[in-house]
Amino acid sequence: MRTTRYGLLIGMLLLLVPAVMFAGAQREEAAGQSGPEKISLSVYHYLDQTDKTTAPNFQELVDAFSKQYPEIELTFEFGYGESFHNKLQTLAMSGQLPDIILLYPGKRTAQVTSAGLVKDLRPWLQGHEDEFASMAMQPQGKNGEIWELPEDISITSIMYTNNKLLEQLGLTLPKTMDELLVQGETIRKAGLIPLAMANKDDWAMQSCFAGMIAERTCGLQWFDAALAGEASFSEPRFVRSLEIIKQLHDENMFSPGVNQLAYGQGLDDFVNERAVYLIDGGWTVNQLVGELTDSQKAYVTLESFPDITNQAGESGSTSATAGQGFGMNAKLDEKQAEAAWKWIWFYSGPEGSAIRQRHGRLPAYNLDTPKEADPMIQKLIRYAAKAPMGYVLDAVIGAEPIGVFNNNLQQMMFGNKTPQQVADELETMVDEIDRGN
Amino acid sequence: MHNRFRKRYSYWLLTAPGLVVFLLVIMFPVIYSVSLSFTEWSGYGTPKFVGMKNYIDILSDSIFLHGLRNNLLIVFISVFGQIPLGFIFAYILHRRMVGGGRFFQTMIFLPITISSVVVALLWNQIFSASGLFTAFMRIITEDPRYVIGMFEQKNLAIVPILFVLLWMHTGTYMVIYLANLQKISPSIIEAAQIDGASEGQTLRRIILPSMFPVIATTAIFAISGSLKAFDLIYAMTGGGPAHFSEVIAIYMYVNTFKYYKYGFGSAASIIIILLSVGLILILQFFTRRIERRNG
Repeated sequence: MRTTRYGLLIGMLLLLVPAVMFAGAQREEAAGQSGPEKISLSVYHYLDQTDKTTAPNFQELVDAFSKQYPEIELTFEFGYGESFHNKLQTLAMSGQLPDIILLYPGKRTAQVTSAGLVKDLRPWLQGHEDEFASMAMQPQGKNGEIWELPEDISITSIMYTNNKLLEQLGLTLPKTMDELLVQGETIRKAGLIPLAMANKDDWAMQSCFAGMIAERTCGLQWFDAALAGEASFSEPRFVRSLEIIKQLHDENMFSPGVNQLAYGQGLDDFVNERAVYLIDGGWTVNQLVGELTDSQKAYVTLESFPDITNQAGESGSTSATAGQGFGMNAKLDEKQAEAAWKWIWFYSGPEGSAIRQRHGRLPAYNLDTPKEADPMIQKLIRYAAKAPMGYVLDAVIGAEPIGVFNNNLQQMMFGNKTPQQVADELETMVDEIDRGN
Repeated sequence: MHNRFRKRYSYWLLTAPGLVVFLLVIMFPVIYSVSLSFTEWSGYGTPKFVGMKNYIDILSDSIFLHGLRNNLLIVFISVFGQIPLGFIFAYILHRRMVGGGRFFQTMIFLPITISSVVVALLWNQIFSASGLFTAFMRIITEDPRYVIGMFEQKNLAIVPILFVLLWMHTGTYMVIYLANLQKISPSIIEAAQIDGASEGQTLRRIILPSMFPVIATTAIFAISGSLKAFDLIYAMTGGGPAHFSEVIAIYMYVNTFKYYKYGFGSAASIIIILLSVGLILILQFFTRRIERRNG
């Protein structure tokens, strides 16, 4: 009896096998009959899907790609903030890296790029290098590899200025930091914020201010030497950059409770004209295009932080880095890699860049300034063309030293650490972890 | 003999699925984590054995020690705040000392039905530097730069979080106690009152001894829950500013997933387990003594 039952079960299972196999073949046949073979690729992207500006802008780009390449089917998976990086790390460690991945040029995704998990894009990129801003074509690997094709040039420190408020207060754009400090009193007396900034998330002060101010006090050459270990972050010129942050904080130049304000609050204060200046990255133009009224766009300008006494860096300089971009999984075969490159090139090349530029981004691909672009975008393009650029600290220093540094900047503003202590700790960590790796 | 063998065989057979799941889901990660805690590993390549270095580094790190202090404050507020308050509310409602019992029951339990992230956003909307309370205080003090100083002080930054935790979790204990209070036969209480027992005597002599095992169990939940506290704090402050409101679970998370120090993070997680087990053992020791004393 039992034997009969087992026999029946095995028989049923055997009957199912060819049925399943034929079903699969029929699907393939159907695909083959309907035109060129479809290639499906998975994409892991950094995007806040709830963002009313960036999410629809990205979708517009995807739609344009699908229209041009109907044979390539992209399946997106999104991450945002710290969780993007956590998931990327988990995917990489478990050997489940998607076919196309958003990567960063500096240390941020070095755990993936340095582990040989992505392809070098140079064979595909060959001949197109001059079409990009030179900053975007900097080598990303030890042997000059390009792991990702940068989508944008990311300027991380711009002093957005409300000229109408300045005029109402009888002030003009300050040429030196001392002039700015004097302005602070007038601005505060009017119940306004001199420099709107939000540093609860602790990266903003470092990314949007410290890199720029370090470029001013130290100069680019010195910074190269410090990264290589030929100069030290404990030196007075770097300590001076931290002293400036402390001074601006102690003299109430930043937003009240700057270390309690979530990122975005500074922008809110500036748009609602509660702040005369806003310190933020170039990416903020994306939001300003939608948030500012037409009349505001006429009197809001993009400026550099004023000169500081005895500065070693260039006047009017800012901090910038080649932005993130897509790279491809090292395991892709030739056909898949060709399809992946089509997306990467579409996204960071002329077509995708034109779409992103229309929405307020500063593409790494060289494009003419569009005449019909929003005034804020035109201002950003003009600013990028004239401002000398220094390093963004978190693009050139590893995750742990920069994490500790971000926290130490807050400690310093609260008076728990001196600028010298913060600089010494950075030097120790960079020396232990970064240099030589 | 044959019967005993069959019995043993069936015991093994019945417990095997559960045992396999337990070994795979609970024991394997713990053992793997213990072995990883003695190594230095960034997620790629072969882990490098470093002995006790991770544990020594963690225990001598002032950020960890501050996080531990914050965790112990959460344990304190849970055991000596949430549990007594939960019991008091449950007792008041059970003994119908106030009208509108159902309304109060719902109101006290409501916070636990809201996601931790939503609770965090809600309180941030009120108390952040751009929040309602701050705006109100700026009007009253006529100081446009007024902010709540407590958030920027190393020793006090955790206090608002403790308050939110108290507000959020008291309802859970109240519901547990209320359910258990209803199990006590009303006839016992009525008999005591006929014999002339006051409200206080009824509470001390009848209700508290009956509730003691439940209180001890909830205290274990409170301790283990407090030591792994993460979601609400991460959403409220992220452990900041400057690690002031950090707890050891956030310390572990940052080191593991932000700095890619998997060995170090594993050592931190083992310390959390050891602390949790240690505190629960101490609690059980005292619980048994009290139970023995009460006969």
